Amino acid sequence: MPEQKQITFTINDQKVTTAAGTLVIEAAMHQGIEVPSFCYYPGLALQAACRMCLVEVEKAPKLQTACTLVAVEGMVVKTDTAQVHKARKDMIEFLLSNHPLDCPVCDKGGECELQDMTFRYGLDHSRFTEEKLHYPEEQWSPLVFYDAPRCILCFRCVRICDEGMDVKALGVGARGVHSVILPNEKGALACEECGMCIDICPVGALTSGTYRYQTRPWEMTYVPEPCTHCSNGCKTTLSVRNNEILRANNRDHSGINGEFLCGKGRFGFDFTHNPERVRQPLIRRNGKLEPASWEDALEEVSRRFKQVRDMHGPAAIGVIGSNHTTNEENYLLNRFARATLGTNNIDHHRTADYTGLAAALGPRAKDSLATMADVYASNATLVVANDVTQQNPLVAWQIRTAIRHHKARLYVINGRPSKIHRKASYLAEVPRGTEREVVRWLSTGQGDFDENIRTALSALKAGIEKESDVVIIFGADISGSALRDLVSFGSKLPGHTRFMTLGDYANSRGAADMGILPDRLPGYAPLADAAERARFSKLWGSEISSAPGITAREMMEAAAAGKLKALYVVGANPLKTFEVKQPDRLAGLELLVVQDMFLTETAQRADVVLPAASTYEKDGTLTNTAGEVQMTHRSIDPQGPRSDFDLIRILSHQLSMLGVGSPIRLRTPEAAFDEIRQNVHGYDLPVAGLLAGGAELSTATCQTVEPSYETPAGVVFSSNDFLFSSGTLGRYCSKLKSTNEAKDTPWSSSPNIQSWWYR
Amino acid sequence: MQLPPSLDAKFTELLGRYPVKRSALIPMMLYAQDQFGFLSDDMLEEIAKRVGINLIEVTETLAYYSMLRRKPEGRYHIQVCTNISCMLRGGNELFQHVQKRLGIGNKEVSPNGTFSLEEVECIGACTGAPAIQINYDYHENLDPSKIDTIFEQLEQGKRPKPVSVISGAIHERHPAEVVVISRRFGIPNSNKIDVYLQHDGYQALEKALKQMTPDQIVDEVKKSNLRGRGGAGFPAGMKWSFVPKETGGKPKYIIANGDESEPGTSKDRPLMEMDPHQLIEGMVIAGRAVGAERGYIYIRGEYRYVIDIVEAAIAEAYAKGYLGKDIVGSGFNFDLAAHTGAGAYECGEESALMESLEGKRGYPRIRPPFPAVVGLYGCPTVINNVETLSSVPAVILRGGEWYAGLGTPKNGGTRLYAVSGHVNRPGIYELPMGFNMKRMIEEVAGGVPSGKKIKAVVPGGSSCPLLTGDEIDIAMDFDSVAKAGSMLGSGGTVVLDEDTCMVDFARRIMHFYAHESCGWCIPCREGTAWLRQLLDRFHDGGGRASDIPLIDELSKNMLGRTFCPLGDAAAMPTISIVKKWRNEFEEHLRGDCPYKPADVIAEVR
Repeated sequence: MPEQKQITFTINDQKVTTAAGTLVIEAAMHQGIEVPSFCYYPGLALQAACRMCLVEVEKAPKLQTACTLVAVEGMVVKTDTAQVHKARKDMIEFLLSNHPLDCPVCDKGGECELQDMTFRYGLDHSRFTEEKLHYPEEQWSPLVFYDAPRCILCFRCVRICDEGMDVKALGVGARGVHSVILPNEKGALACEECGMCIDICPVGALTSGTYRYQTRPWEMTYVPEPCTHCSNGCKTTLSVRNNEILRANNRDHSGINGEFLCGKGRFGFDFTHNPERVRQPLIRRNGKLEPASWEDALEEVSRRFKQVRDMHGPAAIGVIGSNHTTNEENYLLNRFARATLGTNNIDHHRTADYTGLAAALGPRAKDSLATMADVYASNATLVVANDVTQQNPLVAWQIRTAIRHHKARLYVINGRPSKIHRKASYLAEVPRGTEREVVRWLSTGQGDFDENIRTALSALKAGIEKESDVVIIFGADISGSALRDLVSFGSKLPGHTRFMTLGDYANSRGAADMGILPDRLPGYAPLADAAERARFSKLWGSEISSAPGITAREMMEAAAAGKLKALYVVGANPLKTFEVKQPDRLAGLELLVVQDMFLTETAQRADVVLPAASTYEKDGTLTNTAGEVQMTHRSIDPQGPRSDFDLIRILSHQLSMLGVGSPIRLRTPEAAFDEIRQNVHGYDLPVAGLLAGGAELSTATCQTVEPSYETPAGVVFSSNDFLFSSGTLGRYCSKLKSTNEAKDTPWSSSPNIQSWWYR
Repeated sequence: MQLPPSLDAKFTELLGRYPVKRSALIPMMLYAQDQFGFLSDDMLEEIAKRVGINLIEVTETLAYYSMLRRKPEGRYHIQVCTNISCMLRGGNELFQHVQKRLGIGNKEVSPNGTFSLEEVECIGACTGAPAIQINYDYHENLDPSKIDTIFEQLEQGKRPKPVSVISGAIHERHPAEVVVISRRFGIPNSNKIDVYLQHDGYQALEKALKQMTPDQIVDEVKKSNLRGRGGAGFPAGMKWSFVPKETGGKPKYIIANGDESEPGTSKDRPLMEMDPHQLIEGMVIAGRAVGAERGYIYIRGEYRYVIDIVEAAIAEAYAKGYLGKDIVGSGFNFDLAAHTGAGAYECGEESALMESLEGKRGYPRIRPPFPAVVGLYGCPTVINNVETLSSVPAVILRGGEWYAGLGTPKNGGTRLYAVSGHVNRPGIYELPMGFNMKRMIEEVAGGVPSGKKIKAVVPGGSSCPLLTGDEIDIAMDFDSVAKAGSMLGSGGTVVLDEDTCMVDFARRIMHFYAHESCGWCIPCREGTAWLRQLLDRFHDGGGRASDIPLIDELSKNMLGRTFCPLGDAAAMPTISIVKKWRNEFEEHLRGDCPYKPADVIAEVR
């Protein structure tokens, strides 16, 4: 970026030097001088509507709005004069004239900007003695309510919905003092239900269906967490009272998501209290799962693992890990599988080809992985084979915001519709399933397409080849050789190209990084590499077998064929994921242990079910799809279930007492994370930032480029969750599922659905 | 939705008028409403589809404009103006009479669906007050018996003859008048191009396009001291010179502001209905001067018949080669279209007008940038009042110096004054800038009926501070009126006799501004509404001594702090009334309004 011209001006007798073009309100804020405002909101269109930010400017006949006033050389601004104070007082008086004084029951009471402003700048009495306007409250969706009398018409909600979300579900009705905010569908909302309008509302006009009238803000404690749903890693702040999460929102904007949060992050927390939650261990007795004590359940599991291991050997045992459990738990599970049970049959549902990307980039990964911030900062992004709006909402937000704030360009190659398409400078809509061929064409020029597709692709290619410092983002379909093609194409682009592959779930990348893979140890260390094997064998106190393991899908097939005798499923639902239609195909198993929050299809078939805690109920770290690591915290007590960390650790102790493996002595996730930092390539991260609630970019990577590495076909695939689904977990998010929009899937061909998803 | 072929064709035509489809939205809604009486959900969806926008964008736009409705009105929608000029001449009493006659109240529909009634804000018939509109038809100078005749005709299924030209525009010329832009008023068929051509028509255009460079045109207008006739009085030539020559390929636009809605103002209406070609000619010249090749005449929606006249004139001008490609062989191209508003005073504010012309809610824009740089569709735009642009042909034809010489220093030429209220000859008079106000009222407009004294004068539209009868011996130019503590404004002069209740007058003005506040900024939205409630209560006899300073202070709290001048417009007259007629407020504290019987007040409410 070219060096920006600096100017110097004066605020309240202080000299301020700032970039030319800076608004006075911003410059004042950086100087620690508050200029109050309601309608000004950084990054959104300027309004100058609330008139709270009026300031005195030397030589100007009238007070000026600091939110639209660009500071210029020599300007003299005063924010602390009697005239300015009076203007603020008068604005508050006007605002309160029709504002109901229902603060005692208003959700916003205690965290309301109007209350704060009144307290600080307002009159101590009211001169308004006329009748106040009143309108009844409206319910716009199960999640969004609107109380018109409280609305101060700052138009933040309208702007965030239009400019920020590109949804434009909100408008303004009537005019003058009767103005109200209107939803798009005859008194109701048809939208993405992101709830951004609720967060951004400075008063209690827009309230949340999950939270309204439940409590007072000061009665709660606040726990910032990475969201447990998709792979983007947004921070959501859980508001907790009496061991119950009452609200999730994003008012502090401190996460990698800035001001963004989607509906899953905001409303998808009620699974924790879903009545179907398994809260007690279950053991199958006489064909029925019956409640059991923890002692009995853990004893049963360890005894029977030993039995199978003794009878059939360790290779008869398989372990399927999770896309949701923490890095520490995944690391422990890996150790448990390879060092305690002695099997390399460990895998998970891979929703993006992280291994392939690590192999294709090799050591270059250290500076070639794109963060969420990189997406925003980039000049151009290329999105291949993903509906980012639906599947990766933060990525989509970053792309849209980059376009909005600094005219970044978007290039899209996609085989399915996506709302983001209308933001694209170049769009190539290709038949679904041909994305890999298109990528091959990009890289090698080989391939044949219809005339119009070829034209679109050629234009797109010519366009992007003129860009520099591009971020390339791609979905699960781009795996294996297609991924190598894309990396090869991207590497030839001018400047520094960065890559991001898009997985489905909160710790999809963490599972791969921690080596929940049959052929990889943590940090993508090849199992075949004797030195790496030796390193982990030494660390874990048992010899790791060199015999390669089998993939999750192969495990399901082996179970059906009777070759696999025991399966330990942690936080996964392979019967559903791998579409095993007849559950009896698991009949060949002698032992199925499932560790989960709910009685999933797989758990219903288990011999023992160990109830597990959710990520909102435990400590640890999660790695988002970009590789950014964040800490998760125990916000509530799970009341019955235990963390996967504890369960794996306890099982290792139990088995060691039976003579199998050595006990895991890492007592806490912190200790495990220390071991990860010291031993997993790319995870040697500074902890201070993480402890402070920030994110650190990990670069788990192959030590050499492995051009011959081929991700097995069919191993990587997406569950195609959308804004209202989230794998198994999503089924238990009642509030999210109660919306009309949750009933539609965005990629259906039926026209009524198209009507609102893409308009 | 299946549309009648005529509407379908109208939609297609409207969508083709603008470089951006959304601009057709408001006209499409209004023309659809004309056919069906209201806008159904199906119709709105159809319009959204054709314009290519979301339904919410259609509904929120509709919600802004007071003429657009989602429920049917009666077959005859009776709109009674009770704004200041009409109020002074019996508008309230007329409204009560109509209510009794029809047996329905404000915003009600008669049981058989024949009539509906609405009290409306100024309809631009101030010199024909009191006036009503029946659908789009104007009926002026009414009294209860005249209106009864009208209803009898309607009940018999006949269409009463509306006025064809605003009352008070055609009259015997007063010797003091200097007739420049109104010189064709009263000539039969003066709106037709043939008649226009017989009376110097399009000669200025020939001169400007063939003999002058664009810079020479701008210089001539600068020399003329022609100042904006909309009310602010900004020098027109200077405004034009702000338009950048190089735009990097962006087109430029000329807009005529014909939204005339300032209560007391009705002088653009006769200019458009009797001399539309003069306006067209002025716009083409303006286009040439700044390098714009497209123009729009934004006309308030209530003036439908005027729009029809202007559209017919535009068609004539195209046919004769005064619009379109290669105008009079000069190589200059200029396209022009009329655009209807749909009921919103705020759209007379230039940036709100452009929002409205883009098919949006009429919210004003943040300035800078000013329209000359970033205007319609983000392109450089000259926006002038209809009267300003209508003055341009005379300036070009007879020279800037000649024009300047008609007025006073820095205030060139003549202007139209619509004198209404308590005068013997309400009318539209063309007088040189700097003409004495007292003389205009007493001589030109015939003085106050029954020899009563002048209590107050609204110099140029309801937003100006009022002058007392003792303050009007002043020259009517922008600077002199400013020196007297008011504004020359829009040329809508309203005269109030000694029996007028100033509290009631302040109340009525505030009703107007509260009704027209767009709602964008807090002080105007809340301030006008609060003051309306307060003044209602006060005038009804519920006032408290503390209310008098409060009215003054709340007005001052709006003044200079609102997003656009509407807040000032509401504040300024109010402040002047409290200051100059404080005694009348104090009289009201004793109980009833001393100027009107109590029953009238109660019923007007």
